[in-house]
Amino acid sequence: MSGAQPTVGRVTELVRATSNYLRDRPRLRLFVLLALPVTFLVAIFVIPLLIMGWYSFLSDMPPASLTLDNYAQALSTDLYLGIIWRTTVITIQTTVIVTILGYSMAYSLVRFSKKATLLLVLVILPFWTNYIIRMYAWMNILQSGGVLDTLLMWTTITSEPLGLLYTQTAVLIGFIYIWLPLATLPFYASLTNMDPNLIDAAKDLGAGPIKTFLTVTLPTTMNGIVVGIILVAIPTFGSFITPALLGGTDNVMIGMTIEDQFVSTFNWPFGAALAVIVSLFVVTAMLIALLLGTDLFKQQGVDQ
Amino acid sequence: MSDRDGGHTDGGVAKQRETGSRSGGFGGLAGRLFRTVGTQVELFVHNYGRYLGKTIVGAIILFLWAPIFVLSFMSFSQREVLSFPPESLTVDWYISFINNPQALEALTTTIQVAVIATPLGIFLSLLIAYSVSRYDFRGRFLLQAVATLPLIIPLIVVGVAMTMFFGFVGIQSGFWPVVFAHTVQIVPFGTLIILATLISFDTTLEEASMDLGANEFETFRQVTLPAILPSIIAATLLGFVISFNEFIYTYFVKDARTNTLPTYIWDRLQHTATPEVNVISVVFLLVAIMMVVVAVAITTVERVAIRQ
Repeated sequence: MSGAQPTVGRVTELVRATSNYLRDRPRLRLFVLLALPVTFLVAIFVIPLLIMGWYSFLSDMPPASLTLDNYAQALSTDLYLGIIWRTTVITIQTTVIVTILGYSMAYSLVRFSKKATLLLVLVILPFWTNYIIRMYAWMNILQSGGVLDTLLMWTTITSEPLGLLYTQTAVLIGFIYIWLPLATLPFYASLTNMDPNLIDAAKDLGAGPIKTFLTVTLPTTMNGIVVGIILVAIPTFGSFITPALLGGTDNVMIGMTIEDQFVSTFNWPFGAALAVIVSLFVVTAMLIALLLGTDLFKQQGVDQ
Repeated sequence: MSDRDGGHTDGGVAKQRETGSRSGGFGGLAGRLFRTVGTQVELFVHNYGRYLGKTIVGAIILFLWAPIFVLSFMSFSQREVLSFPPESLTVDWYISFINNPQALEALTTTIQVAVIATPLGIFLSLLIAYSVSRYDFRGRFLLQAVATLPLIIPLIVVGVAMTMFFGFVGIQSGFWPVVFAHTVQIVPFGTLIILATLISFDTTLEEASMDLGANEFETFRQVTLPAILPSIIAATLLGFVISFNEFIYTYFVKDARTNTLPTYIWDRLQHTATPEVNVISVVFLLVAIMMVVVAVAITTVERVAIRQ
């Protein structure tokens, strides 16, 4: 007890002295503030990405000569082009379905629900449980003779088990399940923020509910829609857990191929090249989405 | 909350019906048919949109919760082979989970990692958010971009980049790479959440404090920090949830001996899944619910405190 008090006092004194010293030295102050986070981000995030870029040009594990073969192999082999194509298709399907479902739900929550907050918590809570666990639940549901088949046959909707597991449908269901809660949030936020008087104005001018929606609500909330689309499309494109657990060997996506290069094939340079391609794909797609989003925004003359 | 798009202002639809039938003259039969159908659809949505919306919400919430109920229910299933519905119920798998040293070690590691990575990540986020919002310096946007980038680059890309990095610098031990990897993933969320409140915070209060003789640190502690505390707490809770559930970074940077609960389940799923995995899923669900309860409790306490 007697030792602790002076120590605390001394530390407080030291802090005060230091901050008084820094008071007239803003550059030094900024350096003190940022030294730690910048060092950390550069060391654990930026440098690894640079090392990955360097690996992607290596002909073998280092030390090795530089080459473009990894990129040539990835972008000229039918197998890898096919995988990239399938990944793109599944990503687009997922994004479209999630956007429609998530937006409809956010819309209903904002316009029709009295307990919107409670319902929103119910929507987000499943998202806070573990990703793999949720995929595992769908394995149980979709497998041949699983929960879904049992229910469908019990209600005599089907007479034979569907066995959806290890099909592209299963992968789609998995992705929709994972991303629906996440996409709903920006949709909900943009719908809550919009001025409801706009809708009344459209009604007064003679527009029906659908016309009002298409000409007023949809354009006004375009910003939230773009955010939702980005939040869904990026992780779907790079995913490997969902296709690995629900898609099996017939529905390989690019993330699985990358994982394979590091976990079983041990061709790190080729894996690095695939990872660089995925990153470029994602960043380009995002920039296009943002540009389109802002364009639509400007056309509608909505400033925010 | 009010029923606006499907509202009860009938004037709009009625007016449109009129225009629909009148303009049929020069649109021809097809045009008239099209307009009639359009009006009918508008009418239908007008009358039943609210019920349609509520049905969608109900169906989606059912879709989101059904798998979780299935898992929780099956964690009490007697048989080792997965079957639904379970023939008889038991708590054996809970007992086997508690008696499985590997599973418990994975749980302990998960908690240890989260307890170190979360405060570290939030501290770094706070420093970044504060500097970005209170100082004007070259590279400000670059810093903000780099801090947000882990959100944008697919997890698997950063995961393999970290594998190569830790291999390159020769760090072998699995625990600290996992902690640092989790920290990288927490930083963008923490920065965005804290930055949002720092930007909306009234800086004249800080200026007043400095004018009254407080230095920047005292000002931060006594003026800024209390105001942004709710966002720091929110970011911390989110950070803990992220770390507790993190799989992809962990999977790539961990060594063979280190396992967190998610990588442990992944290993189990590669072999034969036993209902023990269902038990672990209940653990994850309980942690998620706990976090929400804590979040609600903290906001309520805060609200009460403000009122007093």
